[in-house]
Amino acid sequence: MTTLSLPGRPWWSPMSQSGIGATTAIAWRRSRLYWVLWVLALLTLMPLTVTKYHDLVPPGSSPEQLMATLGSNPTMRAILGVPHDLSTAGGFTMWRVGAFTGWTAAFVAAFGVIRGTRADEEEGRTELVRSGAVGRHAILGGSLLVTMVATLVLGVLIALSMVGAGTPAKGSLAAGLGVTAISWVFAGVAAVCAQVFESARSARSWAAGIVLGGLFLVRAVLDGSSSVRVQAWRWLIPLEWPQLVRPYADERWWVLLLPMVLSFLLIGVAFSLESRRDFGSGLRATRLGRADAAPGLGDAAGLARRLHRTGVIGWSLGVLVFSYGMGSIGSQIDAMLANNPQVAEMMAKLGGTGELKNAFYIAMLGIMVTVVSLAAVQFLSRLHAEELTGHAEVLASTATSRWALARSHLGIALVVPVVLALASGVLVPLAEAAKLGRWSMIGDYLGAAAVLLPGLLLVLGIAMALLGWAPRWFSLAWVAVGWSMFCSWLAPLFGLPEWLIDLQPWGHLPRLPSDPLDLVPVIIETVIAVVLLAGGLVGFRRRDLLSR
Amino acid sequence: MTTAIEITDLTKTFGPVTALDQLTMVVATGDIHGFLGPNGSGKSTTIRVLLGLLRADSGTARLLGGDPWRDAPVLHRRLAYVPGDVNLWPNLTGGEAIDLIGRARGGLDRNRKRDLIELFDLDPRKRGRSYSKGNRQKVALIAALASPVELLLLDEPTSGLDPLMERVFTDLLRSEASEGRTVLLSSHILSEVEALCDRVSIIKAGRIVESGTLSELRHLHRTEVVADLDGDVPADLSARPGLHNVEIDGSRFRAQVDDDALSALLATLGEVGVTALTSNPPSLEELFLAHYDTSPVPGQEMGPHTSDRARSPRHAGRRVSA
Repeated sequence: MTTLSLPGRPWWSPMSQSGIGATTAIAWRRSRLYWVLWVLALLTLMPLTVTKYHDLVPPGSSPEQLMATLGSNPTMRAILGVPHDLSTAGGFTMWRVGAFTGWTAAFVAAFGVIRGTRADEEEGRTELVRSGAVGRHAILGGSLLVTMVATLVLGVLIALSMVGAGTPAKGSLAAGLGVTAISWVFAGVAAVCAQVFESARSARSWAAGIVLGGLFLVRAVLDGSSSVRVQAWRWLIPLEWPQLVRPYADERWWVLLLPMVLSFLLIGVAFSLESRRDFGSGLRATRLGRADAAPGLGDAAGLARRLHRTGVIGWSLGVLVFSYGMGSIGSQIDAMLANNPQVAEMMAKLGGTGELKNAFYIAMLGIMVTVVSLAAVQFLSRLHAEELTGHAEVLASTATSRWALARSHLGIALVVPVVLALASGVLVPLAEAAKLGRWSMIGDYLGAAAVLLPGLLLVLGIAMALLGWAPRWFSLAWVAVGWSMFCSWLAPLFGLPEWLIDLQPWGHLPRLPSDPLDLVPVIIETVIAVVLLAGGLVGFRRRDLLSR
Repeated sequence: MTTAIEITDLTKTFGPVTALDQLTMVVATGDIHGFLGPNGSGKSTTIRVLLGLLRADSGTARLLGGDPWRDAPVLHRRLAYVPGDVNLWPNLTGGEAIDLIGRARGGLDRNRKRDLIELFDLDPRKRGRSYSKGNRQKVALIAALASPVELLLLDEPTSGLDPLMERVFTDLLRSEASEGRTVLLSSHILSEVEALCDRVSIIKAGRIVESGTLSELRHLHRTEVVADLDGDVPADLSARPGLHNVEIDGSRFRAQVDDDALSALLATLGEVGVTALTSNPPSLEELFLAHYDTSPVPGQEMGPHTSDRARSPRHAGRRVSA
């Protein structure tokens, strides 16, 4: 390794940060809309939930009962985290949307840092700035500064708005600073990833996908578990820290030190990595590759397989491990319910009409199908990206028809997620089926996954139709999935009408095996999805290919 | 004459912008056809329509006897395209990209690929993201030239190449043409077009404003003559018909001369006695500027363009010193 011991300036030296004023101004100018919109969006959730507290939790219901029914429901815990005190509006809000706000802010911070650093460097914009009187670390410094100040503002505004909504000041401050602190951790994670990887795409996949997404899945498994021993591991998961501060529930202020220290460590690592690498490259020197292509790389389909290889492996591992992990937790529910018949009764009401475990498995399967549809949109978005970078133009000028070009990415976006959704249907009940020797369960949940597939197809149909007819609006496909997540996580808080909440890809599909199998919505939605897919393909063949 | 490309009244608009305005153009089979115009004049748009990447609003285009939009995949087996701004897959090596493009076209000649890589001095094992602009251009050129195609569509193919590689490319293109391939060479580098092309079309704001062989185009224009004489320049020369912008400075003479006035002028100068004579036929640059420049008479203030002209082999032998 070439650890250059040339008299390079350390990152804390003022010279290496010279020009940080200018780079901060540039970073702010380029990302101010991004930050203003996200801060406003994330700011609303918590105070809004406080105002809804009395609708959601009728006065007079006993706090113990509330904790028992909501707080020990493994489905709710896996999705939202472990509650500390649901008897006050503040404590309830922290559990219901507080952690979610922190996780989203962490995601936004990670993307914010990468877009200002590696993405610009890859596009060649950084080179112009760096050629000015600007220190080696000033761009990363400026981008981190904007991200950290923006998330600090977000935290302070959340604290103020929570005080304004009538919750105790101490808890409000702890909740707000928790959001800030977890954002800083992921700003640090993203800063490190932006140094390690040469492409912004890889940096994003690692920071937001593998690290944040992976930790989220581990967190869900830990939080869903009812074993105290398992829950001790929560301390190792940074995403848990904002809740472990216990806002509104006898605050433990020192816990805030954990994310603060970790974020500064990560930022230090990022700067020292930046000293060790060349401009434009990653940490690893790029190795030489093959002089000739492998036999499989000879057409659009071969190229798509190659481009999606890493993504397919990553998504598959995540989905398969999470499905099996959540399924194992589900099969421990009996142990917990045995000591608490009151909870058992309440949970049956909450989770649906079927038995409790079914409710849990159905919820997990629903999450997995939504996650898998994100993968589908991401795979198809590559077709759009290939067009914008001019790669598609190169292939389209060979004997590659538009149809072959579209099919190469659409095929993967269709097949891999469908297989993963079905695999999730097998893996979620697997632990329980093995424990009871009731293998028919697997067939039941495979069927349950199958009737959710039209939602996945509809998302892909929307994405393909946009790509065919309004490619500039392709990001609306993400909105379709985002809306679905919003509906299942947050819509009840806003008191939206039922029909609007159901107006999402999975809103009308039956939840087997609790619901009766109603094929009408399944068929109608499949038809709509196929029409959109076909229409999108026709549009893609008819329109001008975009170019750089 | 068979035609490889035939475009009639082609119009293409992007929203309010008219990129091609009833463009009409013919490229004969076997020709190297220069396609000249400044940035934004519609060269790339024309090529993209020919490739079926863009759909024309009106007018017709025929490419190798087929419809460029409808028959694109079939036609593309017989042609190769080099974009002006080559962007390679960052994770694929140059060698992989060459193979991918060649195979997707219907196959490439492995020996030819190896020879071309050597000729262009390219390391095919590097990843797309680590190539410089010139090396990306080389990858695209090798991918295009490694397949035995009938037609090459080259959109400013030498941008980013160093002069040495430009020379390699020029030589290669000549030998391609001698094997009967048709080339449409879009460029704003006039010397390149002048050195290579049989015929030239000049495009301005989406329309072809001049088209023909180089000599045909030259006929429309004047030759610049500069002479140093033994004695004083005869005074009557400034009034002679066929001579324009005459400048006389003692024994030095300079003028723009119509082609049919050339012999008489040389005879007159010869009587006085000539010590040095330079005659420049109008370069493409002047034809070009005649259409693009605001000044009506070409060839006076060439300024920064003269370096291009000096590189052109057509001018090299014209200087006569006594």
